[in-house]
Formats: sequence, structure tokens, C-alpha cells
Amino acid sequence: MALLEIKNLYASVAGKEILKGITLKLQPGEVHAIMGPNGTGKSTLSNVIAGRDGYEVTKGEVLLDGEDVLAMAADERARAGIFLAFQYPVEIPGVTTSAFLKTALNAKRRQEGKPEIDAMEFLKLVKAKTAQLGMPYDMIKRALNVGFSGGEKKRAEVLQMTMLEPRVAILDETDSGLDIDALRVVSEGVNSLRSPDRAFLVITHYQRLLDYIVPDHVHVLAHGRIVASGGKELALELEAEGYAKYLNAAA
Amino acid sequence: MKPSLITEHSFGEAYAKRLGVAPWRGNLPGPKVEEWRFTPLRSLAKIVFAPADDVDVDAVPRTVPVIPGAARLVLVNGAYRKELSDANLGKGVEFSQGKVAAKEGSSLIALNAAYAPESLALHVTGAAKKIIHIISIGAAGAAPTALHPRITVTAEAGAAVTLVESHVGLPGETYFSNPVASITVGEGATVRRYVSVDEDSEAFHLATSLVKVAGGGTYEAFHLGLGGALTRQEVRIALTGENASVRLNGAYALSGTSHHDFTTVMDHVMPSCASSQVFKGVVDGESHGVYQGRIHVARDAQKTDARQVHKALFLSRGPQIDCKPELEIYADDVQCAHGAATGEIDPNHMFYLEARGIDPEPARALLVEGFLADAVNEMSDEVVRDIFGVAIGTWLKRRAVGSHA
Repeated sequence: MALLEIKNLYASVAGKEILKGITLKLQPGEVHAIMGPNGTGKSTLSNVIAGRDGYEVTKGEVLLDGEDVLAMAADERARAGIFLAFQYPVEIPGVTTSAFLKTALNAKRRQEGKPEIDAMEFLKLVKAKTAQLGMPYDMIKRALNVGFSGGEKKRAEVLQMTMLEPRVAILDETDSGLDIDALRVVSEGVNSLRSPDRAFLVITHYQRLLDYIVPDHVHVLAHGRIVASGGKELALELEAEGYAKYLNAAA
Repeated sequence: MKPSLITEHSFGEAYAKRLGVAPWRGNLPGPKVEEWRFTPLRSLAKIVFAPADDVDVDAVPRTVPVIPGAARLVLVNGAYRKELSDANLGKGVEFSQGKVAAKEGSSLIALNAAYAPESLALHVTGAAKKIIHIISIGAAGAAPTALHPRITVTAEAGAAVTLVESHVGLPGETYFSNPVASITVGEGATVRRYVSVDEDSEAFHLATSLVKVAGGGTYEAFHLGLGGALTRQEVRIALTGENASVRLNGAYALSGTSHHDFTTVMDHVMPSCASSQVFKGVVDGESHGVYQGRIHVARDAQKTDARQVHKALFLSRGPQIDCKPELEIYADDVQCAHGAATGEIDPNHMFYLEARGIDPEPARALLVEGFLADAVNEMSDEVVRDIFGVAIGTWLKRRAVGSHA
């Protein structure tokens, strides 16, 4: 069974149809990249899978291990193992990164029938993970994402991902706003999480990210549909030739 | 509508007779008194109060936090109770009890003066090591009762002390707490005062704090309002010497039909003083929050720096907020600023937390605590800050349980 299966998915925002029949299967261990120009539904796809309000699914299914994801609330989806790394992580004043991480981690542990993590164990875990991502440990004392640079925000997303150990991680334009150094660190963080029982959906506009996070499959999204699929060489072809031929074909 | 509410039947001859004192001849402020416009006392004025001589309290309620290493002074229905207290105050502070002088002031102060059993007077002569925790417990017997705690704090020049006040009560018949605190901060002295009002859900609490801060003195206060049917915390501060500094902050969290009123008056009399106020409120149900903040800068008070901000967060569409900032500035070389805002929880914030697996209710709690944090974090004593943080967390849990009931 596929780990994540998207079947003929249609979704609209404010009455406007954005996704027009997406079908995609992610097997455990695979990394899929979705590429496409702006405004073709890439972010809509990630928000629909994660369960954000305001997106109406009009047709189709999303299954995680065969379970109906669309029937779950956003928090249930996350606890079931879906993780969305946001394109624009929000700043939340007053809520410390540490309190947030602990609450999120404990929500997951409760789901798994484990007791709450104790304070020392939590600090040890955060210390190890921040060190691995080259982040100052002190950042967990700061308010969540507040005043973080673009690179710090994306690193914080990857930190959350490494702590929550999702089944399926969706990276929504994780490369936007990153310089080369930050891109490398973030990518290394993601690559360290690659494992035979986890899948990734990497959404990006540019091929650049895929030099670091090398995908098994590449899909081109245009006008709400997947119009081409291939191996990693497809990303290189897109980089060289652009999206024009797919846009015209789909229109 | 009358300018004042006749309450002779509430606190008149019969009440005074049972206490063995001369009766109070005043009235409660009515709805036409500008300062009381948002906090009507009609329901209070209807109640006939009796002294609670038929009730006893033999323990401090467990909801009152234990502050490690702090001295405890316990008042039951306004009267000091030695056997419930730990009056070992440590060096630098002495305490005494005394008759309350019937002084001028508002009608509530006069009411307090008429019926306060004795004042609790703290005399701070040096740098006090121990936190002094004053606990006021309201407990009615068969009839509604009123209590009139009176606290006087005098910090001598260069002295320093940290006070915590917990105002709580027992469920049962309603009670009305009418505490008055007079605080004098001497030259170069520091008084930190953290007040938590978490009265029984049927209780009334109308507190007046009168604070004077001399030159170079520092007054730092935080007031928390969590419970009670109707609560008002009125704080009137005069900065009476140069380079005096005041940080007055507060937070409230209301549910049901609770009413909470913060009224502050910051009177800058002398030059080169600074005052700042950060007030934050969270409202749910059909509750009503009020913030009235007046800053007065006298003509001679040049180089004043006075700031004030009030922000409220609506957890539902039912509550009401009234916010009235007033700046009266007669000096020309000053910096004064005020801000006010109300809002709701940002759905993008909610989604972010939910997308990390946090259930909606704890997610909301996290955001509410985060919203209140910039007021709460103004408290410089970390131990008390954590204790107040826990109290807010408990309120949020209580609210969550209530909303699912």
C-alpha cells in the first residue's frame, strides 16, 4: 500500500477551482518533487493535505496508510504523521519555541500512548537536534519565529520536523528566501531524515533545491493538474527549458 | 438615574451596631459618576450585608499558592489571623496593627475606614529578604458579608520589599471585599507588589490602591484579575519626587458574566519621572472588561516619560470591552504615549499550532498565554511570575472544561 495516496483530487478556494484532478502515490522511502510555476496550485495542494480552513475539497481522496485523511481535523492529521513545513512560518509573539515544541511533542506522545516527556529529557533532545542543525540552543527561549531571519525560520521548521518524526513531510517552497548556505543546512537536515519508512513531498519552483534533496520522482503541476512525471532528470530539463511547453499543453 | 446609590440599608445602623462602631453615612458611586460609568454597582447596592460573626475559617484555601520562603499574613474577612499566619518577616520589615484613621477620599475608602477592623501596617526599613505574602479570605455565613481589609506599607528611604497579595474567598453566600492599600515608597526605595484577585464567582471586589512614590523611588506592580462576579482594581499613583519610576501592569481573564475593571490614575507631579503601563485582557462568554487609564502631567513635570497600553483578546463574540485612555498634559517637554487594541485569535496562528498536532483547545490556551505574556513578563520576580503564570494556566483549563460542559 502506498504511504500517501492522492486520488483524483479536486479543490477550490473561495469558489474557484484550483486543483483539477491530482493523482499521486508516495511509497515509503520515496522523495517526490512537485514543480511548477506560481499560481498552478502547489501551495493549495500542501494546504489541502494539511487541512487548512478555506480549502474546499470537491472530489477525490487523500489516504495515509489507507486512512481517510480528509475526514480528520488538521491536528489529527499532524498526529497521524503528516507534517507541513510552511513556506511562510508565522511569528507567534509570547509563545516560546520551547513551550510550543514541548506541547507539540507531548500531543504526539499522548497519541502513541506514551507519557509526557520529562523536562530534562526534552532539553537533551532539543540540545542534540539544534546542534545537528547548527542552530544556537538559545533560540528555543525566543518567541516562536519572532524576529527570526528567513533562514532561521526554515531551520526552525526542520527542527520541528526532526523532533516530531513525521511519516510524510511536505516541504512547501522551503527554498524560498534562503541563501546557498542556509539551503545546504536545511537540505542536510531533511536528508538526515530520509528513511525507508518515511516519504517526502518537496514542492518547489526552482530546480536548485533538488540538487541538495535529490528526488526519486519529479512531477510538473500546471493549471491544477499533473501534466508530466519523470525521474530527477525532468527537473534539469525544466531548469533548461522552462515551463512554457507544459503550460501551453495544459491550457 | 441618581448620582449615587443609597446603601444605608446595606451598611447602615444595624450593620454598624453589630460591629459596635459608628455607622457609615455615605453612598456608593452611581452610574452618573464618570469614573464608574462602565462599572454599575446596582446589583451590589441591593444586597443587605451582615458582619460574618457566625463563620470561621481554619485553613487557607488550597488554591492559594505557597511561595517558597515567604512570610504569610492572613486576613479572614478583613481581620488579621495570627494562627493562620507565619509572621516571621525577616530583617528589614516590621509589622503592626492599628486603628484605621477615618480619612477623606472616595466613598469606598470611607466605607473601608468606617468598618475596617484594624489596619495591617508594614514598615520597611531596609532591604527585606523575604517576600511578604498577604492573603485575604472572604467568607460569608448565613447572610452576605462585607470585608474591609486595610493595608498600609511604608518603605523608608533606600528600603526594598516584595509583596504578594492573594484575594480569595469561600463559596457560599456572596461577599463583598473592599480592600484599601496605602503605599508610600520613600526616596530611592523599591516596592514590588503583585496582586492576584481570584475571588469566588459570586463575589464583589472593589479595591483601591493609593500609592506615593518619592524621588528616585521605584514602584513595580502587577495586578491579576481572574475571578469574581464584579471586580474593580483601582490604582492611583502619585510620583511626587524627581526621577521616580513606576511600572504598573496587569492582566485579566474573564469568562461567564464576570466583570473586571482596571482604573488607573498616574499623576506626574514632579519632573523627570517615568511611568509605564501594560494591561492585557482575555474575555470570553458574556464577560465585560474595562480599562480606564488617566495620565496627568502637571505643568512642572517636565521630562516626563509616561506610557500606557491596553490590549484585549476576544475568545468569542459575546463579551464587551470598554477602554478609556485619558491624557491630561500641562507640561510641554514630555513623552507620552498610549495605545489600545482589541482582536481575536489569528486563524493562521491556530492552524500553525494545529498543523503540529496540538489540539484546538491547548492551542488556544498557548496563544492566550502568549497574548498575556508581555504584561506578565513585566514582573521582575521570576518566582512570582511563574506562580501567576500557573494561575492563568489554571483559569484556561477551567474555561476549557466549562466550554465543553
